[in-house]
Amino acid sequence: MSTQRKEKEIKGIFVVVIALFPVFLLIPILRLLVKSFEEQGGISLANYVEVLTSHGFMSAFAHSLIISSVSAVLTTILAFLLAYTIHYTNIPKAYKGFIRKAAVVPMLLPTITYGFAIIYSFGKQGLITQLLGRRLFEIYGFNGLLLGYVIYTLPISFLLVSNTMQYIDKKFTVVSRIMGDRPLTTFASTVVRPLLGTLAASFVQCFFLCFTDYGIPASVGGEYDVVATVLYNEMLGSIPNFNTGSAVAMLMLIPSVVTIALLHYLEKYNIRYNKISNIEIRKNAPRDIIFGGLSGLILLAVLSVFFVIFAVPMVENWPYQMNFTWEHVQAVFADRSLISVYENSLLVAVLTALLGSLLTYGAALTTARSRLPGKVKQVIENISLITNTIPGMVIGIAYMLIFSGTPLQNTLAIIIVCNVIHFFSTPYLMIKNSLEKMNASWETTAMLMGDTWLKTIVRVVTPNAMGTILEVFSYYFVNAMVTVSAVIFIAGARTMVITTKIKELQYYTKFNEIFVLSLLILYTNADDEAIEAMKSTLDENGYSGQYIVQSFGTSELGGKLLAEGTNIEADLVTMSSFYLDSAQEQQNMFKDLTFDPHALEEYPSSTRQSPPRRERSFSTQR
Amino acid sequence: MLEIRNLKKSYDGVTILHDINLSIEDGEIVSILGPSGCGKTTLLNLILGLTDADEGEILFQGKNVLDIPMEARGFNIVFQDYALFPNLNAYKNITYGLKNKPDISTKQEVEDMIDLLGLREHLDKKIEQLSGGQKQRVALARTMVMKPKILLLDEPLSALDGVIKESIKDKIKQIAREFKLTTIIVTHDPEEALTLSDKVLIVNNGTISQFGAPDEIIQTPDNEFVKEFILNQLVIKKNNIFTLFSQGMEPRVAM
Repeated sequence: MSTQRKEKEIKGIFVVVIALFPVFLLIPILRLLVKSFEEQGGISLANYVEVLTSHGFMSAFAHSLIISSVSAVLTTILAFLLAYTIHYTNIPKAYKGFIRKAAVVPMLLPTITYGFAIIYSFGKQGLITQLLGRRLFEIYGFNGLLLGYVIYTLPISFLLVSNTMQYIDKKFTVVSRIMGDRPLTTFASTVVRPLLGTLAASFVQCFFLCFTDYGIPASVGGEYDVVATVLYNEMLGSIPNFNTGSAVAMLMLIPSVVTIALLHYLEKYNIRYNKISNIEIRKNAPRDIIFGGLSGLILLAVLSVFFVIFAVPMVENWPYQMNFTWEHVQAVFADRSLISVYENSLLVAVLTALLGSLLTYGAALTTARSRLPGKVKQVIENISLITNTIPGMVIGIAYMLIFSGTPLQNTLAIIIVCNVIHFFSTPYLMIKNSLEKMNASWETTAMLMGDTWLKTIVRVVTPNAMGTILEVFSYYFVNAMVTVSAVIFIAGARTMVITTKIKELQYYTKFNEIFVLSLLILYTNADDEAIEAMKSTLDENGYSGQYIVQSFGTSELGGKLLAEGTNIEADLVTMSSFYLDSAQEQQNMFKDLTFDPHALEEYPSSTRQSPPRRERSFSTQR
Repeated sequence: MLEIRNLKKSYDGVTILHDINLSIEDGEIVSILGPSGCGKTTLLNLILGLTDADEGEILFQGKNVLDIPMEARGFNIVFQDYALFPNLNAYKNITYGLKNKPDISTKQEVEDMIDLLGLREHLDKKIEQLSGGQKQRVALARTMVMKPKILLLDEPLSALDGVIKESIKDKIKQIAREFKLTTIIVTHDPEEALTLSDKVLIVNNGTISQFGAPDEIIQTPDNEFVKEFILNQLVIKKNNIFTLFSQGMEPRVAM
């Protein structure tokens, strides 16, 4: 005897949500796990032994730990300073508003551009180097990484710390002073103490982001190898080895799991006041000047690094011909292939945002507004936790392994799905929190007024959740625009997005284009001269518009050849024979084309480690 | 007539209601009174259909309604926190159900209800702009427009203060009389229960402690619980008020 409504719709949503994750998360990760144990047809720990005993990995691992910790501490201190200026000083309101906005600006740009921005600011010919007349420090390696990571994590840390700080009960400060505490004691016990949980969380979060980011080390890492670069080189590097690469990926998961577990644990120590207590902040001009000044300096440093991103594309030939020009920007808009990259990015971002919002909203409805059993809801909670734990690079590699050769390979769909899953956790929690705060009796009340469940969701719940849904939409949109770590492994020639295009351009040191491209994420980009010759030949011979040329770094293309084999999207590959030979040996994928190349001179090497090069062309066998 | 027979309910092996039996005449106002955790809200949810019963029957006009889903029973409720929809203004909240069942109330009936509850000047306001009493009246109007066969009210007065409380009490009584509407109210406040209702159902530990008219309960309490926890409170209140007024200070109010 049950008169309960069956919640058919909500069960349907649950099934959809639950069905997605095994296919697009669990199976790929398990495949990666299996791969990491595979060795010459058998199962063994050999890959792990190989990775762990190799000097390269252990030193990269140590580097990662050190640089991530130092960055996380520094970022958290800076974020605390900014937040303190906003919540505990009497600087003008407008200035506080500026700090709030300026502190989160770096979020809008892909990390891969931070590196270039640093090079153009602090490098030999950099803007700041020129202004000061000398180089402040060596940017490749530790210093560049530190600077990049701090810029990258400052917005997130600032949001965390500032949010908690606004909820700290400021009346404790009054009580502490009345009780006769000295200023430093008051500060320690009423500001720092209540924030300890959040500061720790900020440290852990920043550590996690630095540890798993690929964009920054890709551009300014120099000789200072970190885990992310090792992983990239193992998978797509000069001598790709997917088995050891998978082992590296699994090892990368360990610190991720630990940090997320820590974050989960620290959650308990977060103070949760719902009321913002406003008291008059004591007049103290020196304090205001000091904190206002320090905050200004921090933000000036961050923003000046980004200034070059806007300046470089507007200049004839940085830093030699400094006259203003629209030429580069116009070149971008004149180039079909770059426009299409931009269109791809927009399409991916919009669709990611739409699907992501829908999925997280559905998932949050089942956990926050249904009467499904607790165990069922826990499944979704666990999924959210897992997606939060897995670094983008690991997801990207897992997708590359499992979807090569399927119809999904080299589609925009796979990139969209990857983004939706990779960024699931935060938006899901955002919507869930907002749905949980809503009146629990709405559905019952509306049903008594003759609504079906779906009708209530449309007429009442969704309108009231709209603010949060829009926030989620923009979270997904921005992240889909700027992400590189996962997408770099799964983007194909027709599905290049801006961030992967930047990576591609990096090999041709086309910095103008890189900057214009990253502007597009706020604008758009330009083109490649290296391929111009090939293109014009093809065009002259009547093939105009019938081909796509995609340029890669040597090691990337090598990795792709070995990974994708006959599934590779390309019909024609030009490449150093070293790779072609090994790919042919492993995959038997090429057909020989016989012609006389008439090479004028050898191409210069564009990567650090380059094997002997002789350009040869092969057509792939399909 | 609403009749409850041998109603039982337990959650996870803990019995919330043991063997409840009672009957309520049409048009009566009945308060369910008891301390928190006594099972009074569960009883309300069982009548409404929000919760399934383990055993027993609930008969309305002689027909068992336990197998009928909540939305088809034709009863309606105003929740303690009103559950008004903040994306809609007061008027749109009141007429929410008419979008689904346009014929249930005529335009004139809706207008009359708005006037009866004194909501005319608040119709265009957002929910957040309304006071507690106004919210309560909007929620009441929204429910009444659906012409419920039984009106259930969950702690309708607990979020209101002083004078507003008395005026809402009057509105509830007025509605019950005017529409001959059986009204069941859950409350934890003895004064509220005994001054608002025709009959009071005192519940303790999942059983009926006493069911009767207010004067019966005052004159002949059935057991220690009713005496100790219900009447005692009222006596203390009464004494406090007597003390206030017996200091030779007659209140200066027009009688």
